[in-house]
Amino acid sequence: MVLVAPLSDRHPAHGRDEVLALLRDGAGQRPRFDPGLAGGLRAWLEDAACLVVQARGEDAPPLFLGPRQLLGQAGGWFRSEEGDGEGGAEDGGATMSTPLVTACLVHVLFRQLVTTGAVGDPLVDGLAALRVDPGRADAVRHVEALPVGARAALAATLANHVGHLIDLTPRFAPGWLPRTDDRVAIPLAGGRVVLHGVFDLLVGAPVAGTASLCAVGLTSGGPWARARRVLHYLALLETLRSGTPPFRLALLHSAAGHYGVEDIREEHLRAMVSHLVRRLADPAVTGD
Amino acid sequence: MTDPVGSERLTDALLAPLTSLDATAWGAALEGVPENLSRWAARRAAGGPWRLTDYQIRRALSSEEGGSETPFAWSTRTARRALGLAGLQMVLAGDARSPVEGVRAAVARAAGWAGEEGHPRWGMERWLAELPAPGRAAVGAEAVTWATRLWCALDWKALTSPIIIGRDHWWESPHSSLLALRSRADVRTGAVHLVCLSGPRRHTVRAELSVVALVEALRSPGSAAPGRVVGWWPDSGHLVRVDMEPAVLATGMAAVGKALLGGSTGAAA
Repeated sequence: MVLVAPLSDRHPAHGRDEVLALLRDGAGQRPRFDPGLAGGLRAWLEDAACLVVQARGEDAPPLFLGPRQLLGQAGGWFRSEEGDGEGGAEDGGATMSTPLVTACLVHVLFRQLVTTGAVGDPLVDGLAALRVDPGRADAVRHVEALPVGARAALAATLANHVGHLIDLTPRFAPGWLPRTDDRVAIPLAGGRVVLHGVFDLLVGAPVAGTASLCAVGLTSGGPWARARRVLHYLALLETLRSGTPPFRLALLHSAAGHYGVEDIREEHLRAMVSHLVRRLADPAVTGD
Repeated sequence: MTDPVGSERLTDALLAPLTSLDATAWGAALEGVPENLSRWAARRAAGGPWRLTDYQIRRALSSEEGGSETPFAWSTRTARRALGLAGLQMVLAGDARSPVEGVRAAVARAAGWAGEEGHPRWGMERWLAELPAPGRAAVGAEAVTWATRLWCALDWKALTSPIIIGRDHWWESPHSSLLALRSRADVRTGAVHLVCLSGPRRHTVRAELSVVALVEALRSPGSAAPGRVVGWWPDSGHLVRVDMEPAVLATGMAAVGKALLGGSTGAAA
């Protein structure tokens, strides 16, 4: 992944234009993937999942695994780190903390920016967006309980993130079909093991046999390498869902103003499956 | 359940040739069904009348799995389907060029309705109208995603006209004012009904979809026309296909019985 220079070195209007140009580049020659690839990757994962089921027992409740369990925790947060609850007994979410609340707020502000193209007061807008999602009630309570000084610090932090996001986030025309928070859940072993994650942003329409989507990930902090691995993980899930991966990934680092764009290749997917198979064999991950 | 990888796409599942029905067997399977349903509703009269929805059927079927009741409240998640479908209707009608534009217009229209004289000031419209702009944007974003996933999953030009988006069908029992059943589908084309599913895959899903088939059969009792209900999970791409046949009616009846009578469905049947 090409890591582009920090914001301070660049003209403020250039970031999002360059991200958009990088996403469009070569879009007319989208790669075709082996139609058997997804089936092969799935078969590899199914074998590993069956061993998990053997170890846990046929009657054990479904095991929901996301990036947090499968890629390890390493500071910083992706949207995908959180259990989103739709699966019922997912990973149970995370203990509320200021970094997590910041990530939640940055995420909803990113969503607002993609949907409307503008953000007003970041803290006010972010809280208003969190309030319409009952799953974010803890985050709202956390912010409301903050002392004045901490709240002001949070507002300043958010303003920094939003400044970077405004610079980095392309304004996609409606024809790109931008959709935020696209959730993927891949059942294995007859639904006893479920791999899940959430794309922060997907653009493009799926085309059978051709990689035609672009995925944009957002991280509000933490190691760049791990955030990139989360995107590779999501690309694998998309491959299992639709048969082909996104052809290009972009990663936006809202704290630092960095961004990177890369093509997804078969070796990324194979490496990720290999990693997941190892993680599924780890009793600490599967709770045995 | 079908394997989503390299398997039939959603459009193919909708358009695959329908299984023809044996009119005699179908008629026999339908015989007495309305009467039985109204009898069950009468047995469970306390707390009625019963207007059973897919939500109640799903709750009843999942009770063995420890499902818990959550009071309804409008949220990004509960509003996304209605707004997403309204947006898609606009796209199909040519009033919007994409789900983003369609949903944007649907949100503005719904929020605007709440202030109009003569329009009921409750429900989703009122909730939307009272939200601050960022809250409404969050609701719109969720609906855009819901609508775009459905928009991208289907080859709309291949579907037979007319395509009906998001219209609920109700069967009102002719024998009892106590009972009505709802068939909810997101896209209907001819005798084929597409239901977008959410939550984890569950073994009860065929029973849920069978209730949709049952309602459609009850609404046209004299017809033995073939039909199909397809359930689709956007999260995973998995499909479940339920073709109309006598056994499907029995499965649907059992599900309704469970919703009406709880554990005593066997006795009721």
